[in-house]
Amino acid sequence: MSLITWKDEFSVGVAAVDLEHRELIELINGLEAGMRECATQTMVVETLGEIYARISAHFALEEKIMRKARYDSFATHKHDHERLLDELLDVIDSVDAAGRYDRAGLSRDLDRWFSDHFRTHDAQLHQKLG
Amino acid sequence: MNKVVQALLYGAFAACIGYLSAAPTYQYADPELAVIKLSLNHAADRVEECTKLTPQQINERAMKGEPINECARARRPLAVELDVDGTTVLSLAAIPSGLWNDGPASVYERFAIEAGAHTITARLRDSARETGWDYEYSEEVDLVPGRYFTITFRAGNGGFAFR
Amino acid sequence: MELIKRALARAFARFEAVFEYAFGQRNTPFACLGALGWYFYWIVAATGVYLYIFFDTGITDAYASVEYMTHDQWYAAGVMRSLHRYASDALVIVVVLHIFREFAFDRLRGRRFFAWLTGLPLLAFIYICGISGYWLVWDQLAQYIAVATTEWLDTLPVFGEPIANNFLDSTTLGGRFFTLMVFIHIFGPLFMLLLMWIHIQRHSGAKVNPPRPLAIGTVGVLVVLSVVFPAVSQAPADLDVVPAELGFDWFYLAGYPLLDIVPGGQLWLYIFAAFLVLAVLPWMPPAKRVPAAAVNLENCNGCTRCFDDCPFSAINMVPRTDGRAYESEPVVNVNQCTSCGICAGACPTSTPFRRSGPLQPGIELPHRSIADLRDELVAGTEKARVVIFACDTGDTDDLEEGGVKVMRLPCVGMLPPSFVDFALARHYADGIMIAGCAEGDCHHRLGNEWTIERMARRRDPYLRQRADERRLCLSWLPRGSSRRRQRALAEFRAALSEIDDE
Repeated sequence: MSLITWKDEFSVGVAAVDLEHRELIELINGLEAGMRECATQTMVVETLGEIYARISAHFALEEKIMRKARYDSFATHKHDHERLLDELLDVIDSVDAAGRYDRAGLSRDLDRWFSDHFRTHDAQLHQKLG
Repeated sequence: MNKVVQALLYGAFAACIGYLSAAPTYQYADPELAVIKLSLNHAADRVEECTKLTPQQINERAMKGEPINECARARRPLAVELDVDGTTVLSLAAIPSGLWNDGPASVYERFAIEAGAHTITARLRDSARETGWDYEYSEEVDLVPGRYFTITFRAGNGGFAFR
Repeated sequence: MELIKRALARAFARFEAVFEYAFGQRNTPFACLGALGWYFYWIVAATGVYLYIFFDTGITDAYASVEYMTHDQWYAAGVMRSLHRYASDALVIVVVLHIFREFAFDRLRGRRFFAWLTGLPLLAFIYICGISGYWLVWDQLAQYIAVATTEWLDTLPVFGEPIANNFLDSTTLGGRFFTLMVFIHIFGPLFMLLLMWIHIQRHSGAKVNPPRPLAIGTVGVLVVLSVVFPAVSQAPADLDVVPAELGFDWFYLAGYPLLDIVPGGQLWLYIFAAFLVLAVLPWMPPAKRVPAAAVNLENCNGCTRCFDDCPFSAINMVPRTDGRAYESEPVVNVNQCTSCGICAGACPTSTPFRRSGPLQPGIELPHRSIADLRDELVAGTEKARVVIFACDTGDTDDLEEGGVKVMRLPCVGMLPPSFVDFALARHYADGIMIAGCAEGDCHHRLGNEWTIERMARRRDPYLRQRADERRLCLSWLPRGSSRRRQRALAEFRAALSEIDDE
């Protein structure tokens, strides 16, 4: 059972963004599965870093699209992006420093962040982009 | 940030522009001297005589619509000479213009000379003759300092003109 | 060639130090000579429009109308006339300085040839416009210029009959030739505007406006000059009279006395040779071939940050070619890329946190890869507590000392902000110093501006919020400032130890 399941409400209406959402969800689910099978701490940190890099690029693309469409809630949406990136980095560093990972906590955080962000900001964006 | 130094620099900028836009003055010519300008533009005769065509050939060409003359295009160089008080100050052969040397030749010369009374003689040769001149003009003039004296040429008006 | 450049660069550095002191780094005229050129152009154009309203085209009317403007309407048209002249002179000053400076600081080499090459016809046009302007007054200076210029043009085998004949004496000048001069003086500057536009084509966001304090200051001082020392005409032109002593505008007419010493044809040769030498300077000696930036499509989603940040318009976004759902991809124009690496600094995937695969961002310099940068940062940093990211143009040779590690980049704009966060968060450094060129004078045009904006979290990619700004020192200094840089480093280290003591 995967951690996050793709829902149609996650769609923003732009093919590229949806593709990246799907890929990110796959990565997160892959990490979740790996953790369940007792992945090494290195693997977890590496996957988290991969997620971080991909999501940085994803946010950059979303922001470009929002700017082009002169999205009026751009500032708040971007603020949330920055917050997510900060929090993700904190998690990466704490896992790295602690030498081990808290599977349950990590899963919870990942789910919360992405599903929340998808449900709120991205859904709002979808409405605006049509 | 230093406003005083700024003001000084701006001042230097303005002073530099203000000064160099009008000074130092340039002494172009000696106000005691007069200046002679020689300018002419004239087509010399062609180098070769046009070949004489028989009336039959002329007829043929006229029927075909071809030109009825047969002339080599090149012109002679123009020989020009200028004397002041008997001394030759200028002697040149002007090359005709144009790619095939078939256009008019130009002469343009400008030089300073002492003011006062002088005898000026201008000569031009545009024909096939070996010696002598086709056009010649001489006049005693009083050159004013600081003024131009121009020598022009127009074949239609009879030759040289002094002013 | 190198010696000349270095000597010039040193001379500029010394001269500019006074200006940096007086105006501050951001407002010094030397950081915006090109922009000042544009600014003076507009002043000349605007005053020219006003003058044209009152100018009468005609052999006798021209002089009279200019006299009217200068004396009867001295408070308006007269000031305009003086401003027209003085701003034109100012234009020559800044353009000549601009040319020498770009040469001295190597801003024309190799792939940066375009602005230099397109500037050469611009220089010729400045002179054509300026000289034709003096012609229009039809005073004795104009008469001299007319005769000298036409005689000089006649040495070219272009005209069937010498055009100097138009100015033979007072009987020969026709009104039509005069109209031609007016035409040249109006359409010359218009064409020049086109050339100016072309000149900045390969510089994205080119600076065409000087900073406001400078704009106000220069126009102010020129207006004061115009009022206090108005431009006047000399005696009216009379083609029968030989002009003896002439007040010269040396900014535009400095070449004319040469015509009295050097035959006209020779002077053409010298000028032609000079332009030829200038034209080949970008390739003399041949610039080192540095690889251009390379795109890695696997890690790129077409977010356009590299496109937005490239200072030389060397990146174009084109429709996607790898079949993925992304709309566009960047393509690097290798003939325009100066290998500054600013695009790599802008790329969101240039982040050094460990990943599943090799660290390869969407775009980077192949010879100075982000992966290498990370390896260098991470390697042997036991003793280094301050890491300095320095650009190749700065003087940072003598900064290496105990506890300090210097990492070189072609431009500080290549540094992704995530590296700062990474180094601090993972304790590879206690403090990060970014050592670049003076503000407004980045060798690659926009590196330090982008860095300032990124670290201040105003331009993407933002520096992470958690990065402690007290541990980041941005140092912007002109060339030849090694001692100031050392002082800045010492101050930074002192500040760092205070933070650590807390």
